[in-house]
Amino acid sequence: MENTHILSAFDRDLEAVQTHVMRMGGLVEAALLDAADALDNRDEELAQQVRAGDKAIDALEQEIQTECARLIALRSPAAGDLRTVLTVMRIAAALERAGDYAKNLAKRTAVLSQMSPLGASTGSVKRMARAVVMLLKDALDAYIARDAAVAEDIRNRDQDIDQMYNALFRELLTHMMEDPSNITAAMHLHFIAKNIERVGDHATSIAEQVIYLVTGAMPGEERPKAEFMQGMETQN
Amino acid sequence: MDERAKMSARRVQVYYGTNHALKNVDVDILDKTVTAFIGPSGCGKSTFLRCLNRMNDTVASARVEGLIEMDGRNIYDSRVDPVQLRAKVGMVFQKPNPFPKSIYDNVAYGPKIHGLTRNKAELDEVVESSLRKAALWNEVKDRLAAPGTGLSGGQQQRLCIARAVATSPEVLLMDEPCSALDPIATAQVEELIDELRSQFSVVIVTHSMQQAARVSQRTAFFHLGSLVEYGETGTIFTAPNDPRTESYITGRIG
Repeated sequence: MENTHILSAFDRDLEAVQTHVMRMGGLVEAALLDAADALDNRDEELAQQVRAGDKAIDALEQEIQTECARLIALRSPAAGDLRTVLTVMRIAAALERAGDYAKNLAKRTAVLSQMSPLGASTGSVKRMARAVVMLLKDALDAYIARDAAVAEDIRNRDQDIDQMYNALFRELLTHMMEDPSNITAAMHLHFIAKNIERVGDHATSIAEQVIYLVTGAMPGEERPKAEFMQGMETQN
Repeated sequence: MDERAKMSARRVQVYYGTNHALKNVDVDILDKTVTAFIGPSGCGKSTFLRCLNRMNDTVASARVEGLIEMDGRNIYDSRVDPVQLRAKVGMVFQKPNPFPKSIYDNVAYGPKIHGLTRNKAELDEVVESSLRKAALWNEVKDRLAAPGTGLSGGQQQRLCIARAVATSPEVLLMDEPCSALDPIATAQVEELIDELRSQFSVVIVTHSMQQAARVSQRTAFFHLGSLVEYGETGTIFTAPNDPRTESYITGRIG
């Protein structure tokens, strides 16, 4: 297939909107990493920056949705072009949610900084955040490269994040059982871990969107999931 | 062959002199379905459309090979009368071409020459029902004696559709029926096509891919005399199989 449209303005429009998606991806990745650093280093200033930065992410998402609506109205995209526009809209929505989770992480950091640290759990959160950012980054790279094989791999890798979350869940549960005064901090950290786990789900949904973009069909079979409550029963 | 096929074409080749215009085309036209033929100019879509009612017979240099059946009967059989065939497989052209006669006579012409009615009352009935089917009756019922050429372009095209419908066709072929019409008249004809689908098969050749997407259930993409891809319209426009189809419908070089 030829890569360029006869009407070159169509290509410029498509490229512009995809550039915005990549910029948005960069901002979200940075927000997640900064938020996790702020949590681990008790850096309230950095946390505040992350919270403020979410506005830019939301604005980009708005812009992308508006541009996509314009593209549909003015260019009547079909086939691969149509799938690109639909994919861009869904990726932007997924990134916007991921940005919200980073903001929420930063909010809870402000609270957690006032409390005594809970073992090494903020370190575990940071490792989990790094892993999820890698997943997100690879999903966006798969989108740019239109690589369904890499996207398929990302679907499978999400269970690593699920496993990290499960481990953290157990760790926090242990802290709470040891000393009820840990509960507030542990609950905050649990929400943070859960939110990061959800970012992983969004990375997976981006990967699935890439598969749709490339093949024209959403992946059918259920992706593998790490068992959540495995081994939990005995502790109840 | 699809069991719902009204017409079925196998290994159809068309030559204009030495020019091989259509190469090995296999298509099933489904009953009570709108089928759109799309493709760049000179791709063979109109040529193939004209095979379906033997309009190519009227072109001296044209030679048609292969098999085209309607309800399982070969339409190129020597016993088939092409004039009778064209009453069953009607045609509407790009430019509205009403006869220089009254609105009434335009519609009555087909039933008259094919002897489809026994008396004036029956003919009146056919004229009215055809004009109604073409969504034109209310606009012309008070001036049936006025010349058909005095109508607006959109009305003229619907008059031509009424004329084609008057012989109770089983398949209606339309060769770019809206290319000379404004958007409102186009929408009216498209609405009409959708209504006619409940009574017979419609095959439409169009340069407007949006029109193909709007009106058809099945789409065939022709390129350089070959049928590249034929399938459900929704699939063709969201996820076509062939890269050539993709290139064409997304407005890249075809």
